Amino acid sequence: MSTPDHRPLLRPSTLVIYVLLVCFGLLTLLPFLWMICASLKSKQDFYTSQFLPPGDGLFGVAWDHLSLAQFVRLFRELPVPRAMLNSVFLASVGSLLATFFCAAGGYALAKFKFPGRELLTTLILGTVVLPGALLLSPRFETLYHLHLVDHYLGIFLPAVAPAFGLYLFRQAMVNSVPNDILESARIDGCGEVRIFFTIVLPLIRPMISAYLIIAFIALWNDFITPQIILQSPELQPLPVAIFELKGLYAADYNLIMAGTLVSIAPVMFLFLLLQREFISGLTSGAVKG
Amino acid sequence: MKSSRLHSPWTPWLFLAPFLLSFGAFIAWPAVRSLMLAFEQTYGPKTTAFVGTANLRFLVHDPFLWTAVGNTIVFTLAAVVLQIPAALGLALLLNRSDLRGRRFFRLVFFSPSIVGLAFVAIMFSFMLEKRTGLINASLHHLFPAWNPDFPWLDRYVMPSLILAQLWLSAGFYMVYFLAALQNVPGELLDAAHIDGAGAWQRFWHVTLPEIRPVLNIILLLVVTGSFQLFDLPYLLYNDTAGSGPDNHALTVVTYLFQTGFRSGDLGYASAIGWMLTLVLVGFALIQRRLARAEES
Amino acid sequence: MRSLLKLFSPGLWIVLLMAVVSTVLVALLPVRPNHGMQMWTFDANHAKIAGYIAEDWNRAHPSTPVQVKLITGAALQTRMLSGFYSDTPVADLIEVERSMIGQVFAGPVADVGFVDLTDRLDRENLRTGINEPSFSPWTTRGHIFGLPHDIHPVMLMYRSDLVEAAGIDVSKIETWDDYFRLLRPLMLDLDGDGRPDRYLLNSSPTSLFYHEVLLLQGGGRLFDNANHPKLNEPLNARILAKMATWYTGPTQVAAEAPIGGTSAIQLIREGYVIGMLAPDWFAGQIRVAIPDMAGKFKLMPLPAWEKGGRRTSVLGGTMLGITKAGPTTSAAWAFAKQLYLSSDTAHRLYDVARIVTPIKANWNQPFYDEPDPFYGNQRIGRMYIQLAPEVPVRPSSPYYPMTQQLLSSVVIRLCRYADEHRLYDVPSLVPEAQRLLDEAQARIEAQINRNAFLRADR
Repeated sequence: MSTPDHRPLLRPSTLVIYVLLVCFGLLTLLPFLWMICASLKSKQDFYTSQFLPPGDGLFGVAWDHLSLAQFVRLFRELPVPRAMLNSVFLASVGSLLATFFCAAGGYALAKFKFPGRELLTTLILGTVVLPGALLLSPRFETLYHLHLVDHYLGIFLPAVAPAFGLYLFRQAMVNSVPNDILESARIDGCGEVRIFFTIVLPLIRPMISAYLIIAFIALWNDFITPQIILQSPELQPLPVAIFELKGLYAADYNLIMAGTLVSIAPVMFLFLLLQREFISGLTSGAVKG
Repeated sequence: MKSSRLHSPWTPWLFLAPFLLSFGAFIAWPAVRSLMLAFEQTYGPKTTAFVGTANLRFLVHDPFLWTAVGNTIVFTLAAVVLQIPAALGLALLLNRSDLRGRRFFRLVFFSPSIVGLAFVAIMFSFMLEKRTGLINASLHHLFPAWNPDFPWLDRYVMPSLILAQLWLSAGFYMVYFLAALQNVPGELLDAAHIDGAGAWQRFWHVTLPEIRPVLNIILLLVVTGSFQLFDLPYLLYNDTAGSGPDNHALTVVTYLFQTGFRSGDLGYASAIGWMLTLVLVGFALIQRRLARAEES
Repeated sequence: MRSLLKLFSPGLWIVLLMAVVSTVLVALLPVRPNHGMQMWTFDANHAKIAGYIAEDWNRAHPSTPVQVKLITGAALQTRMLSGFYSDTPVADLIEVERSMIGQVFAGPVADVGFVDLTDRLDRENLRTGINEPSFSPWTTRGHIFGLPHDIHPVMLMYRSDLVEAAGIDVSKIETWDDYFRLLRPLMLDLDGDGRPDRYLLNSSPTSLFYHEVLLLQGGGRLFDNANHPKLNEPLNARILAKMATWYTGPTQVAAEAPIGGTSAIQLIREGYVIGMLAPDWFAGQIRVAIPDMAGKFKLMPLPAWEKGGRRTSVLGGTMLGITKAGPTTSAAWAFAKQLYLSSDTAHRLYDVARIVTPIKANWNQPFYDEPDPFYGNQRIGRMYIQLAPEVPVRPSSPYYPMTQQLLSSVVIRLCRYADEHRLYDVPSLVPEAQRLLDEAQARIEAQINRNAFLRADR
């Protein structure tokens, strides 16, 4: 909803607000700037200046001291490309599966009446309160007995059925899929699978995009699960791989910063592209409208 | 329901099947199994021994666990006291339709929440270094009296963690507040303004009650999230598997992780897990009751 | 086609594209099966040397080649434990650091993931030729699970440039008291902010290793020879009380450039710490890390706690173990012997890393007597070897890492106590040190008694 221009809540001079916003904004962005500078600097310059090394160049900066050498090193000499592939693979396939499974499950719970529905719904939604840490040990034990430790499936299978995702999709189905459309489609002789794909999914389009991005970023950033489940370095995603680099090349600050930057950049880009969906999806569970 | 006649009774189960398979194997069964594990001692999943209530009895007197609980409570309280007001403050600053660059600022403040905790830990481990780190170096530069060797990570463990978490999540919760603030009816505020209410009074008597439900949800998110703090201390204090100096960084989940995956005792880890669960469920129930009491 | 595209958001299509491309790539780039035997190590120098030896070995044994992999300590520990706990792939040979071995010994002896080497060592008469204390960290309940890599005696490394410029004669130093008294004038405040920018010893309350180094040097101990914790012995309390006066208050002389931390090298370069506890491996690392500082450091035996006391200690330690999972135990054993017992390795180890071998037969090698230009032409190899017989024994215990952390906790709390009560003399700190050690002892005993598997083996 739009708010009237003369809305009087907390209105000192607008200048103060801008000053505050710029200050906080700078504080928020400072670590990013620092990281970018650090990744471009040589090891010697790392200590002589916090940001860009001083010199004779434009704005008193020694531009010739900066180089992309660390990024080249990351991709040429170190196993970062493979880790990047693993991250893309785990996050994209995992988030697609999770979104699809939750949408299908949410549809069934919201739009069908069948014996045990209430009980099942309560049961699934009840597990939302279980902390992830509780399930860590027995889940690892289960994966061990299924021979899925050190296997991509050991990440995918547990990640595709988040109870909270099901909750979000059930809400979306209740709110945006009218029963009449489903019934008339059935009367027209449409198959159930076709109804789901061609009618239901397009109707909850915003929810799909939002949840997909949320799941993608969560999987991309997950450290603990791959740390426990995946042991072979060829399978590990970026968070584990970069942290490993930090241990091996502890003194190569510029290299570690470059690695961190490379790992953050893809999700940042995706987020910038889809930020509206992302934020509305995040808040849709908590805020009506 | 007419529709129930039009589809086969198996249709909903077909849609539910993929979800239920994964849910059953990796959420429902582990939840049950963790109850059983709490009465066992293990050395990895291969070697187990039934120990009865020994885990639970040990848990009550385990000084490491209580240190962890203490640290976790301190972190959680700090998170409630700092993150929520910071998030609300940023949201109030941004909640003006005449503000130029509003979406830009929203993006800026939110951007840290996209960064994975592993990367936040790496960044802050560099920035909190004594002498050479960004934070000490800048503070010493701005205020020469500031000790360039200020031992952030060595001695001020909790402040370091709280600082990193504040940077990370203030913008995240801000987004929720912003969405809620935009739902506050402008007419109410206008009416209050005409009645001569000051900015603070309008905030306290009109805005706050309107965003109360969201405030409650955020409180729940902050508390349950903070209580499960793990990645940040674990990675910042990797050399001690997350314990930190004098166990000042040890949290409940870190201790659970150390017990289960370092010592291989999935049994005691499960006992700790259930304690954590009871605390969190207890908090959620109390908070819900309080929220209901407020409404009526 | 357009209508299909519009059916869902661009986000979905992007993620879908990523999924398809990455799936194809993952399928096309299968994980390469490892060829021959694998060896994991956590140290770049070890990896380099093992690489040399493996080249020779692979020429002579083409059917059982060895491939050496460098992994960080933390990851190596996780992967090793995961392998032992849950059969994920592990290497045939693993180099394990002392701080990582504890958990391997926490279960039943039969469940230890490494091959028991006791009988092999006895049968081949190898035990007597190796520095006896070097076996101790790798022995549990009477069984030896690894071949020792090193001795790691500790000396004091100091900034000879600064010390000599100040006209200080280190040959007069016998005890720690002498050392701090003579060097005190070097604790300068260079930038005039009222705080020293130079300290005399590289240690601090939060250090994980140095307390134990100093404790062992002074005759204290964490465990007895039967692996029972002995944290609260009165001698320990006296040593810790003295250490606290070094760490805090007006008597403070120590601060830390945390080794492995990001700023350590820079701080050492700036002279933030004048003296450092330096095992042989550290002497090797420094000369590689800051070659431009050659000639500015020297080594001397540790100042003793009391006149005539022990002039060295021990820090770190590595073993090579053969995992039970490997299919070719005898080939792995043969390689392990070639890698650890040969004089070629001893030479390379000293050459690359300045580490002295525990194999007594190699102690007479001439390369240990060569002057090292980085250390002012001192014959540091000989100096370390001369200290080897004095190196304290360290029994192994699964609870060693926990005890190490508890020791650090005690020191941190003792320093806080000193600050709160403004007590900076040894006698007034001893009672509190004793109380804290008693508390720590009770904690560690409770943890040990809880372990059903250790109980069953006793």
